[in-house]
Amino acid sequence: MSSVEQPVRRPDPATVQDRRWVGRSVPRKEDPKLLTGRAAYVGDVSVPGMLHAAVLRSPHANARIRSIDTSRAAALPGVVAVLTGADAAELVEPMTAFCAEPVPQHAIAVDRVRFPGEAVVAVAATSRYVAEDACALIDVDYEVLPAVVDPIAAMDPEAPKVHDTLGGNVVFHRRVDFGDVEADFASADNVIRRTARWHRMCANPLETAGTLASFDPFTQSMTLWSNTNFYNFLPWTFANMLRVASNRLRVVPCTVGGSFGSKHLINKVIAIAGALTKATGRPVKFMEDRVDNLAANDNVGPDRIYDAALAIDGDGVFTGLRLEIVDDYGAYFQFAHGQHGNALSQPTGPYRIRSLSYEVSCVLTNKVQQGFFRGAGADPGNLILERLVDAAADELRLDRAEIRRRNFIRPEQFPYKVPTGNTYDSGNYEGVLDKALALADVDHWRAEQKRARAEGRYIGIGLASCQERSGYNATEWWFLYDTPPLPATSTPESVKIDVSAFGQIRVELGCPLWGNSPETVVSQVVAEEFGVEPDDVAVTYSDSTSGAISAGPGGSRLTIMLSGAVRGASRRIKDKMIRIAAHAMEADPADVELVDGHVRPKGSPSKAMSMGDVAMLAHLFKETNPENEDSGLVTTFTYDHPYASLPTKDRKDLGAFYPFVSHACHIPIVEVDVETGVVTVLKYYAVNDCGTLMNPKLVEGQIMGGIVQGIGAALMEEYRYDEQDGSLATDTWREYLLPSMHEAPEIVIEHQETPSPFSEYGVKGAGEGGRLVAPTAMASAIDDALKPLGVTVSELPMTPERVVAALAAARAAGGGSSDG
Amino acid sequence: MPEKVRLKLTVNGVEHDVLVEPRMLLLDFLRDELDLKGAHAGCEQGVCAACTVLVNGEATRSCLMFAAQLEGAEVRTVESLAAPDGTLHPLQQAFMQEHGLQCGFCTPGMLMAAYELLEHTPMPAPDDVREALGGNICRCTGYQNIVNAVSAAGSMAQAGQGTPTAPSAPVREVPA
Amino acid sequence: MKPAPFDYVAPRTVEEAVDDLARHGPDARVLAGGQSLVRLMNARLATPSVIVDINRVAGLDGIAVDNGSVRLGALARQRAAELSDVVRAEIPLLAEAGAHVAHPSVRRRGTVVGSIAFADPSAELPAALLALDGEAVVAGPQGERTVAAADLFAGAFQTTLTHGELIAAVRVPRRTHARTGTAWIEVARRQGDLPVCGAGAVVALDDAGAIASARIALCGVGDRPVRASAVEEALRGVDAMDDAIAAAAERAAQDLDPPSDVHGSAAYRRHLAVVVTRRSVQRAVQRAREGAVHA
Repeated sequence: MSSVEQPVRRPDPATVQDRRWVGRSVPRKEDPKLLTGRAAYVGDVSVPGMLHAAVLRSPHANARIRSIDTSRAAALPGVVAVLTGADAAELVEPMTAFCAEPVPQHAIAVDRVRFPGEAVVAVAATSRYVAEDACALIDVDYEVLPAVVDPIAAMDPEAPKVHDTLGGNVVFHRRVDFGDVEADFASADNVIRRTARWHRMCANPLETAGTLASFDPFTQSMTLWSNTNFYNFLPWTFANMLRVASNRLRVVPCTVGGSFGSKHLINKVIAIAGALTKATGRPVKFMEDRVDNLAANDNVGPDRIYDAALAIDGDGVFTGLRLEIVDDYGAYFQFAHGQHGNALSQPTGPYRIRSLSYEVSCVLTNKVQQGFFRGAGADPGNLILERLVDAAADELRLDRAEIRRRNFIRPEQFPYKVPTGNTYDSGNYEGVLDKALALADVDHWRAEQKRARAEGRYIGIGLASCQERSGYNATEWWFLYDTPPLPATSTPESVKIDVSAFGQIRVELGCPLWGNSPETVVSQVVAEEFGVEPDDVAVTYSDSTSGAISAGPGGSRLTIMLSGAVRGASRRIKDKMIRIAAHAMEADPADVELVDGHVRPKGSPSKAMSMGDVAMLAHLFKETNPENEDSGLVTTFTYDHPYASLPTKDRKDLGAFYPFVSHACHIPIVEVDVETGVVTVLKYYAVNDCGTLMNPKLVEGQIMGGIVQGIGAALMEEYRYDEQDGSLATDTWREYLLPSMHEAPEIVIEHQETPSPFSEYGVKGAGEGGRLVAPTAMASAIDDALKPLGVTVSELPMTPERVVAALAAARAAGGGSSDG
Repeated sequence: MPEKVRLKLTVNGVEHDVLVEPRMLLLDFLRDELDLKGAHAGCEQGVCAACTVLVNGEATRSCLMFAAQLEGAEVRTVESLAAPDGTLHPLQQAFMQEHGLQCGFCTPGMLMAAYELLEHTPMPAPDDVREALGGNICRCTGYQNIVNAVSAAGSMAQAGQGTPTAPSAPVREVPA
Repeated sequence: MKPAPFDYVAPRTVEEAVDDLARHGPDARVLAGGQSLVRLMNARLATPSVIVDINRVAGLDGIAVDNGSVRLGALARQRAAELSDVVRAEIPLLAEAGAHVAHPSVRRRGTVVGSIAFADPSAELPAALLALDGEAVVAGPQGERTVAAADLFAGAFQTTLTHGELIAAVRVPRRTHARTGTAWIEVARRQGDLPVCGAGAVVALDDAGAIASARIALCGVGDRPVRASAVEEALRGVDAMDDAIAAAAERAAQDLDPPSDVHGSAAYRRHLAVVVTRRSVQRAVQRAREGAVHA
């Protein structure tokens, strides 16, 4: 079958009313196996002869490895292989990296460790218990070097170098100006300056990263059972790293216990399992435990210091934005400046700001490396912008809502090109704001706040209006390089639809199950397309041998991309069915339609053929079918990003790379105990616009989960490395804190639907929304609570100790306003 | 080499007579010796409670207990809730109805903790649910739907929506 | 995170347990609730060569009045103590502090004595025992002896027990003074977490409404629970009004040498010590006035 070019589709108002499944809160297909303990996560998979791996990790942040004595470990009964970094380097390549700079990384350190928790030896044994026993018997002689901890200090040319292959620790620096920033600042009536500090956090899914690797030396082929995401997007990177031919590697996806962006590659886990299976000739499973994951995952979030300024004209309209950022990347640079490419999709937020200066210094230190974590760099971007906007409201004595109204992009201005070149597809930001203010009954809370203040209690009402870009394009990973190592431009998603001879539909996904709902979504779309019930549709997951190129979940893209892929595949199947049925009916295909699971001449329901009738013909009756028709009823459809364009050579226009832009307004209500610094969230209101809702209940689930993660970011989540020796203080869940049910407030959500003109059904992404907005909204709420005491939040997480310190500092500075 | 411990215990209604290494955690005994993969290891520190099973009717962190301690004990895991014919337990139905799960990794622990709660408090208020499940960490849902699900399960059970009790053998999907 | 290998014994009597402990020396540890010990063992922060599981020892789970005290046996579970009519009537501070420990399912396994013996300087129950002037009944090779709470804690995670000894029970004196109020106030990062700082206060008022006596113990501010002696002294004889209490509470930070960790620096803990001391005394006074010893 030939591929059909996808035109840019505008939503047809007439069909919205006709929709039967798209837009309904259909119960999840994924649930039964998850509820009954039948889902197979990596940890559940067993193959005969399987061994278990454990890893010995460096206690030091920065050290040379002088020697390693593994003899006692190797002699322990049950131990089958013990690999140092040097041993592993003979079996597998260094980690795949997407950076242009020479920042080599081995899954198991060779000669030098660069962060506390970096792997030094890997053991394969008959059980994890024995493998850990073996690790305890390994002696490593380290020459401890000074730890590079503070990113500002790390920038000093005299600072110890994290990598000797680089001239210094500033691995990347670039400033790009979009629009005439200088002019806008020069002519501004007001310039608001703020700084902000966003600390290092990570995804912490309940399930860690893991891989079971099985190497067959006789065919030189390898099978992986893994919770990696990119097995259908970049399988050749794994093959290359494992030194297996790309056509002899098979990656089998397992159910994934959460990812939030952190399981895109999981190279270290794969390389360790791969090296051990090669060394032992047996299948080896490496499942991270929680310490492995916290200390050494591939994917922590941004760790940024912002120095920012907002230029405002005489009418209170924002004109220019300046962002100067130092970002602590940790010891490696696997995804390069990807979390800044991401932030450049929406740095000016929902506002008509026309110029932007973005200067970023990516700094290496002796910490666990950045990758992607829900929000992927646009989360702190939202924080700094909204802090500036709130500061502007204060400065200009404008109501917070009013200043936003004055500056929002207007509905008639869409599609809207922001200064960086990205496109915002559609939006109605004032509509969302109005709904949110009404939903939260802000007047009621203002009265509560006043009552509370009279009693010496501090209640705060937050407000944040933020973008939730969705549907990423690969260009964001590399476009800040003039000469990128891999200037990939494809970010597709594929599905296979096959219709059995009985007319029953099966969809095979190219993406894994992360905890989002791909099975449910595709069932709804197929049901909509064919006029069947979602329950009639079977859904399975392909492995990496399917050729179904799929970037999988991430960047809030999956519902958008699966809608496109399924619709595309459905159209091909439907077209073929119509051609075959028309031939059987002796009718013109143009006069035949597929409705409610039946194929019939238009306007003649009585002459309908069931899908089974048609499918049987397609499968087995070639001589009865049209001449050029192949037998069978199956297709794989690859849906490439429907609205993307390339960056210009000078990078003054980065192209459209994240054009589906959802938007939300969050209003948290908090109470701050000013003596202890403890912040309690009393209630949380959110109005979210992610275009056409595919399944409202599922969208709400994503939003709520993201909000609670955002509350974590605002109040408690943080990596702490010792300032002196760089050791990691937050290596278990007793130190790195996640919000529990007790810290999660009641969340009230309302939707607005402003469909996208670029996607099937007008859907936009929703996966990251909650977390993109909540930290900012919480900062705003704490500010509002502590305004009479002169505190403004410029650092997250705002732990109780930081709140107390900020209050003390404000007191010392004689802070506090009289508007009590 | 430590001497193994002999013990008899009942798991999901089936009696087992086993010999275990003292250090084998109850969690690993269930998962690796009995192939009951529903209880999950989230932290092995007793913080997340994804490993929660019922021991003598009490919700217990199976990562903080040695199998060797369980002479004569009755253990129930998530695999005992649904009926072999595919009928979900009302609790599971409620979780599905209320969208109380996303990735499912914390879910078995939530279900078993909720099961215990409902035995003692058949119609729990939201605060009762938070008190009983507050130690179970979820990273996906934001908790609200879980609270709703357990509350709803109370109502469903009251309405007499069937409670299958046959313990099921461990079966799960195997990725090819 | 899997524990290192160990031998396992499950004695049936206290004497057998003492025997097992004495025989195996410092590398043997008692397993009761396991909610703290097994966590440490999984992380290999504790690698005992022998585990002495006392859960089969009969008669250790009692919670009863014993002369002028409430006696809780080594296997009295935290949850049972929290819900016990005897505890709530006679020594409610123990129930109130205990209700803050972790989560109900942890408290159903964890034991009161176990938490005290674990001697985490951040934990509630050791501090509550100190505030209540309780004592440990220690069984050892030489028989039984009593150790006052003030003499029980030797440092972080260390008691003054020697090899072969275990705490068979704790005893907490019943209140004798009519107008006594108690209160536990703590600041924790999340509900169920160890407190960053907590205070247990036992306050008795005289007929004139002045403070006849106060006992205040703090957790999270040292390597063991700390009596806020300077505050107690400042409160004695003082009219039980809020500002007098606040003034006295300022002394809580005196002589403290708190640790610094990710949950709180030494300075922040000193700050909190004053706050929780003040709040716990104020609430205890309020309850003493109401005649209700437990809210």
